[in-house]
Amino acid sequence: MVFLFNDKLSEAFTVMKTESKIAENTPRHPLKDLILEVKNITKEVNSPEGLLTIVKDINLSVERGKPISLVGPSGSGKTTLLAIMAGLDLPTRGSVNLLGSNITSMNEDQRAQIRAQDVGFVFQSFHLMPRLSALDNVMLPLEIAGDPDAIEKSQIALDQVGLSARSKNFATQLSGGEKQRVAIARAIVNKPKILFADEPTGNLDQKSSNAVTDLLFSINELINTTLVLVTHDLLLAEKCEDLYELSDGSLL
Amino acid sequence: MIKGFRYGLNKFWSEALSGDLLILSLSIILAVTSISSVSFLGDRLQTSMKLQASSILGADLVLRSASVIDPKYLELGIANNLETAETITFLSMVITDDDNLLTSIKTTSESYPLRGELIVTDFNGSPIQNNGSPPTGHVWIEPKIVETLNIKNSSEISIGNKVLKVDGIIQDFPDRNSSFVGFYPIAIANINDISDMGVIQTGSRVVYRSMFSGSTRNLNNFINDIGEIPADIRLQQAEDVGDELGEALGESVTFFNLASLFTIIISVISAMMAVRRYATRNLLQASLMKVFGASKLFILGHQIMQLLLIILFATLLGLLCGYALQSLIISTLQGILTTDLPAPSFKPLVLGFVTSIFVVFATASPYLKILSQTEPIRILRNDFSINLSNNLTIYLVALVTMFIFLGILFQDIKLLSYILMALIFVTAALYAIGKILIILLGSINFSSGIGWKIGLKNIVNRGNESILQIIIFGLSLLFLIVLAETRTDLIDSWSETLEEDTPNYFLFNIQEYDIANVTSYFLETANFSPSYTPLIRGRLLSAKRAGSDELSSENLMEREANLTWQESLPKSNKISKGEWWNQESTTAEVSIDAEVAESMNLEIGDELFFSAGGSKFSAIVTSFREIEWESFSPNFFFILSPSAGQSLPNSYITSIKISEQSNIMNSFTQRFPTITSVDLGAVIQQIRNTVSSASLAVQYIFLLTLIAGILALVASVFSNRDQRTKETAIMHAIGANRLIIFQSAAAEFFILGILSGLTAIIFAVILSSIIFSQFLDLLYSPNILILGLSFAIGVIFIFISGILSIRKTIYTSPVITLRES
Repeated sequence: MVFLFNDKLSEAFTVMKTESKIAENTPRHPLKDLILEVKNITKEVNSPEGLLTIVKDINLSVERGKPISLVGPSGSGKTTLLAIMAGLDLPTRGSVNLLGSNITSMNEDQRAQIRAQDVGFVFQSFHLMPRLSALDNVMLPLEIAGDPDAIEKSQIALDQVGLSARSKNFATQLSGGEKQRVAIARAIVNKPKILFADEPTGNLDQKSSNAVTDLLFSINELINTTLVLVTHDLLLAEKCEDLYELSDGSLL
Repeated sequence: MIKGFRYGLNKFWSEALSGDLLILSLSIILAVTSISSVSFLGDRLQTSMKLQASSILGADLVLRSASVIDPKYLELGIANNLETAETITFLSMVITDDDNLLTSIKTTSESYPLRGELIVTDFNGSPIQNNGSPPTGHVWIEPKIVETLNIKNSSEISIGNKVLKVDGIIQDFPDRNSSFVGFYPIAIANINDISDMGVIQTGSRVVYRSMFSGSTRNLNNFINDIGEIPADIRLQQAEDVGDELGEALGESVTFFNLASLFTIIISVISAMMAVRRYATRNLLQASLMKVFGASKLFILGHQIMQLLLIILFATLLGLLCGYALQSLIISTLQGILTTDLPAPSFKPLVLGFVTSIFVVFATASPYLKILSQTEPIRILRNDFSINLSNNLTIYLVALVTMFIFLGILFQDIKLLSYILMALIFVTAALYAIGKILIILLGSINFSSGIGWKIGLKNIVNRGNESILQIIIFGLSLLFLIVLAETRTDLIDSWSETLEEDTPNYFLFNIQEYDIANVTSYFLETANFSPSYTPLIRGRLLSAKRAGSDELSSENLMEREANLTWQESLPKSNKISKGEWWNQESTTAEVSIDAEVAESMNLEIGDELFFSAGGSKFSAIVTSFREIEWESFSPNFFFILSPSAGQSLPNSYITSIKISEQSNIMNSFTQRFPTITSVDLGAVIQQIRNTVSSASLAVQYIFLLTLIAGILALVASVFSNRDQRTKETAIMHAIGANRLIIFQSAAAEFFILGILSGLTAIIFAVILSSIIFSQFLDLLYSPNILILGLSFAIGVIFIFISGILSIRKTIYTSPVITLRES
C-alpha cells in the first residue's frame, strides 16, 4: 500500500514540480534558510484557577524543507505552539516569523492571506466537511483563493494520495485512513511551502497510520515542503531531522 | 467578498439540499405566504369595500340634511375639480286614475349617480339608461309600483300637482339605503320637476343630498375648503359606511391580521431555531475556511449569498402560495362581495420580499457576525459550540427588529404593545419555570427507573438549552392557543347572530282594530301569536341639557323619529349607561340608542322635546342602550316610558318567522291589504352566507398559522438533534438498551412539554381576554375544551416529535451514528 502511494506520488509530483516555479527555484535543504522562527513565545490564558501558562519562553527555528517534530505528553502545549506558529492563534508575548513575515503583528485577515498562499494543515480529527464529497473537500482552499483550475488541481491531489476513485464519495462514506488522506490532499493542493500536521495519525490504526506517515514524508521529500509535525508518537517523531520535546509548556 | 459571493452561489444547491436550510426556507415560505395572502386579500378587499361603500352612497362624499343645503357647497366641489350631483327625496302618494300608493320620490340631477349604477329598463326589460335622471315630465318607477298600480308603458301618474309619463322601470340604483324611506317603493323623477309638484311644504319630511366624487386629494382639499359645516348637515364618506358591508367581514379581517401577525412571530421563532442550527453546523466550515485562508469578508459573502438565494426562492414560493391562498379565500367570500374585485396591486410582492429579508436578517445577522469572526483555533480545539450568552443578544436583536418591522407593517401599536408585553412576560415566566425545574431536578436523587432518571438528568445537564426549549415550546403553543380560541369564539358568535327562529317578515301599519284578526290568522295558519310593538311617528324638536334653560336643536340632524313605548327592556337590547325605568314611574322618560346619543352629543338627564300625533311633549333621557340589530326584532333609536308614550296615537309593528316553503303570506296580503309586509328572507340568507363564508376563510388562515406553529415546534426539537444523536449513540454504545434510551427521551420531552403547555395555557387565557375585549368587542370566557385539547395535543406533539428526532439513532448501530456525527 505504502509502496503504491510512493509510486503514484513520484509520478504525480513530477507534474507538480513542473508547475511549481517556487519548488523549481528552491534549492533542497539550503543551510540556514529559515522558513519559521519562533522567539520568546509565551501563551497565557485565564482559567477558573487564575492565569494559566500554556507555553513559556519558546525559541525555535525551522529551516526550509526540513521536517521537524514536536513531542510531549498530553497537555504539554504542543497544539497551542503549533497554532501560534501557523498563525491560527496569537501569543501573549513573543514573535513568530513565518515565511519572512512577522505574523504576530498582523491582523487575522493578513494572517489568513499567508495561510491561503503558503501553508497547509492536517488535523488529528481530519475535519472534512461531512456534506461535501472528497473532491469538494480538497477543492476548498483553492476555491477560497478563487483558483479557476480548482477541479483539475484537486483531482491531481486526490490522485497523489491514491483516492481518485473515491472523489465522489462523501466524507461520511470513507474510512479513517481514507479521510486523513483526503485531508492531506486538501493540505497540499495549493502547494504549500510549509505543512503543519497536528497528531495526523492519532485517530488511525497502525496500518493506516504507517500509510499516512509515509505519505507525509514523501511529500516533504518530493516537493520540498517543510513539515512541522506535532505528535506524541515517538516513532513517528524520530523520522524527522529535528525533534523538539515539550514538557509543561517549555522546551526541554 | 465577491469571491465569497461566488463560492456561496456555487455551493448553494448542495448546501440547500442538505437539509440545514430546509426549516429556515419553510419558515420564510410560511411568513411570506401569510403576509402576502393577507395583504393580497386586504388590498383587494379594501378596494372592493371602498367601491361598494361608495356605491352605497352613490358618491365618494355626501352632504345630507333635512333642510335645503346651501348651493355654495356644490360650487366649492366644482372649484376643487370634483364631480357633483344632487338628490331630493321625500314621501308622497303616486296617484293613478284608479289607485294610489305611498312612494319614496327621489328627484335627481343629470349626473346622478356619481358611483355605482342606476339600471333602468323599458317595459320589455331592455336596458335604456344607466345613469342620470329622466327628462322633465317623465318618471321611472320600481316594479312594485307597476304591479300595485297596474301601470302600463307610457301611462301617466300624478305626484302632487305634476303629471308625469312613466317610461322606465328601475331595476337597481346605488344609494338604496341613503334615505329614511327604505321600505317604500321608489320613483325617480327629474329634480327640475320638484317645484311643479308642489309637495314640499314647510315641515315636510325631505332628505336633501349634495354628492361629490373625485380623487382623494381633491376630496381632502374640498373638505378643508368647506370648513365647519352647519350642525344640521351631515358629512358622509365612503369610509364611514364600510361597516355596512357586514360586521362578520370586518371581524374576519381583524382575525386575518391577528393570524398574520402571529404567523410572522411564530415563523421568526422557528427561523431563529433554524438559523441557530444552521450556524452551529456551519461553524466547522467557517473555522476551516479561516484555517485555509478565508477572510472575514469571504465568509460573510458566502453566508450572505446563501441567505439571499434562500430569500429569493423561498419568497417566490411564499408569494405563489400566498396568491393561491387569497384566491381560495376570495372564492370563499364571493357570496359576500358583490362587486367584481380589482386585480391585486404589487404591494404584496414588495411586502413579501421585505418580510423574508426581515425574517432572515433579524434572526441570522448576529450569527453572520459569529461565523465571520470565528477563530481558526477552534479547529484545533474541536470547539464548535455557540454559547447561550451570545444567543441572548441574538434573541434580543431579533425581538427588537421584529417589533419595529411589525409596527411599520401593521401600524397597530396598541395590539403590538399587548403582544410584546405577552412575549416578555411569558418568556420571563418560562425562563423562571425552567430555572426552578433544573434546580429541583438537580437536587432530587432518583432511586428507580434508570431511563427516566437519565432523561430528567439530561434536562439538568443541558441547562440553558432546556430552558430555551421550554421557552420556544411555550411561546409557540401560546400563540396557537390564543388563535384557536379566537377562531372558535368568533365563528360561534357569528353563528349565534342568526338563530333558527330569526324573524323573516316585518309587518307595518297594523292598526289597533287589525290586531285580533291578525293574531287569529296566524294562530289558524301557523299556530303562533305575534307580539306587537307600538310604532309612533314623531319628530325630535330640540334638546335641553340638564340644569340649563337653553333649548338646542344643534346636532339633532335627522329629526324624524320612529318612536315606541315599552314597559320592559326589549330582549335584543342592553343598557350601556343609566337605568331602565320603573314600570310605576309617572315621569316621562326616554331611552336612546348609545350610538345615536353619542352622535347627537346627548347625556343622561337631558330633556328631549318631541312632536307626535299633533301634540308636543318632552321626556328625560334616563338610559342609553346597545341594540342587537341582527336580531331582526323591531328595534328603535328612541323608546319612551309608558307614561310618555301610552297616550300617543300609534300603529303597530311586528316581526314573524314564516317557513320558506309556506305561502301563507300571499293570502295574508290579500286578506289585509292595508298592512305592509316586508320579506327579509333574502337579507337573512345573505347574512347566513356571509357568516359561513367568513368562517371558512378564517379556517384557512388559521390552518396557515397552525402549520407555522408546528414548524416552530419541530425546529425547536431538531435544534439540538445533533447533540442528542451523539449522546444517544454513546449511551447505546456503553450498553443502554432501546427501552432505556426511549424512556430517557420520553421523560425529557414529556416534562418539557407539560411545563411549557401549562404556562402557555395560563398566559393564553390572559392574552385572549385582552384581545377579545380590546380588538374584537366580544365577551371572553375561557373555552375549556379548546384549552384542554390544545394542551394535550401540544404535549403529545412535542413528545412524539422528540422521540422521532432520535428514532433513527435508536435503531442504528452506534458505530455508524458516531462515525457520521
